Amino acid sequence: MITIQGLRKCFPNGLEVLRGIDLAIGDGEVVSLIGRSGSGKTTLLRCINFLEEYDAGEIRLDGTPLWYRAATGGARTRMPEPAIRALRQQMGIVFQQFNLFPHMTALENVCLGPSFAHKRPEAEVKALAQQLLERVGLGGKMRSYPYQLSGGEQQRVAIARALAMRPKVLLLDEITSALDPELVGEVLEVIRSLVLERMMMVIVTHELRFAREISHRIAYLSRGQITEIGPPGELLDNPQDSTLKEFLRRMP
Amino acid sequence: MLRLLLQGAFYTLVLAVAGIAGGTTLGLLLTPLGFLRARPLRAFYHVFIFFTRGTPLLVLALLIFYGLPAMNFSQGPYVAGTIVLTIYSSAFFAEVFRGGVLAIQRTHLESGRSLGLAPLAFLRRIIAPLALRYALPPYVNVCVMMVKASSILSIISVWELTLAAREIIERTLLVFTALGIAAGLYFIMCFGVDRLGRRVERHLMRRGFVGERV
Ligand SMILES: Nc1ncnc2c1ncn2[C@@H]1O[C@H](COP(=O)(O)OP(=O)(O)OP(=O)(O)O)[C@@H](O)[C@H]1O
Ligand SMILES: [Mg+2]
Repeated sequence: MITIQGLRKCFPNGLEVLRGIDLAIGDGEVVSLIGRSGSGKTTLLRCINFLEEYDAGEIRLDGTPLWYRAATGGARTRMPEPAIRALRQQMGIVFQQFNLFPHMTALENVCLGPSFAHKRPEAEVKALAQQLLERVGLGGKMRSYPYQLSGGEQQRVAIARALAMRPKVLLLDEITSALDPELVGEVLEVIRSLVLERMMMVIVTHELRFAREISHRIAYLSRGQITEIGPPGELLDNPQDSTLKEFLRRMP
Repeated sequence: MLRLLLQGAFYTLVLAVAGIAGGTTLGLLLTPLGFLRARPLRAFYHVFIFFTRGTPLLVLALLIFYGLPAMNFSQGPYVAGTIVLTIYSSAFFAEVFRGGVLAIQRTHLESGRSLGLAPLAFLRRIIAPLALRYALPPYVNVCVMMVKASSILSIISVWELTLAAREIIERTLLVFTALGIAAGLYFIMCFGVDRLGRRVERHLMRRGFVGERV
């Protein structure tokens, strides 16, 4: 379970990108984030994984506050690096593209995280990685380097790599946006199977049809605020927020 | 005459290899300073680069050749020559490696961070291999430069290819023959370094270092 409260983020240039985000995601729940370009979707995901620092608010994972510790006088300090690393290992994130380390095979990419983070025997890590790669349909491409894989295959390896950490939540940022249309399906298929396994996921996407199909709830982000959130049927078919109506009208 | 020049070329090669080895090591030690948060260390890095790169090699050579004995460290011209090449090339190498690190894709760094890799694993498995790959072409560039730069050391009485050629000219007055052969030998050595770099590059390409499709 992830709870986000009052999350605010300003970039150094003064742009306030997140203006008080409140969001709770339950175990096994899939929440899709939609919204116009520049509305802050990516920034929100990056804050959850602390790839981006934020100015105010609190993020909790299963009740434990993440990333910052309260210091005296209402101030806060970053957690020590080892604690941050340990927490990051409980989340997986996949970006739009360039996820994989180009100098490692698919198998090595997937093994890297667990072999260092979990200090498990090599054979065990490898077995897990092979199992995950088979699961995303790449059992035959384990020894391929990223440049030998198609975009869709690369994204599936990236998902397997995130899963190898046995994360509590998966954060996916437009992972099919950079793909040719015919490769989108195979990646979405992997996500569908994760929904069935009750993987907690936060998915940024422009594929409204897909969001409708797999999400338990969809959140609409507008200028750094979640102005509407609800089950796909309600939010997509009967939107209340006027900018959301406009947004949906323009979508295919 | 040819034998003397070949001998000189051998000394040139040894000097260049020693200087490149020393410069690479020193450069590798310097590069991290350029990335530290501590401002004094970063400042030290940039000042060192600025002065070393900004000093003509000839001036640096004279400085060390006459400076070392003044500091009661007198080991002859070859040691002095190696030190000159080491210091001079370290500034270039350090910047070459820094460029390699800067060339790493942001998502690759962030993927590593999101996997919670500890600093040492991060350096060893991600930053070092990627940075070295990106740094390879300019690295070979500097290596080739060093082979030729070693000729300056003839000024501080390091006997190598250029000094050998000068000796021959003084004795036989065969200016163009001696210099022509010397130039040919320099060319062959530089060509060899270049080919070696290409080979390493091809090898790395087979290991996935080709950048990625867009
Ligand atoms: N490092 C940064 N420094 C300054 N501004 C930034 C930075 N990163 C993002 N921004 C700005 O923050 C805003 C939100 O960006 P973000 O990437 O979160 O949008 P998004 O909703 O993911 O958009 P898209 O759908 O195009 O991916 C944008 O206006 C962007 O220009
Ligand atoms: Mg985005």
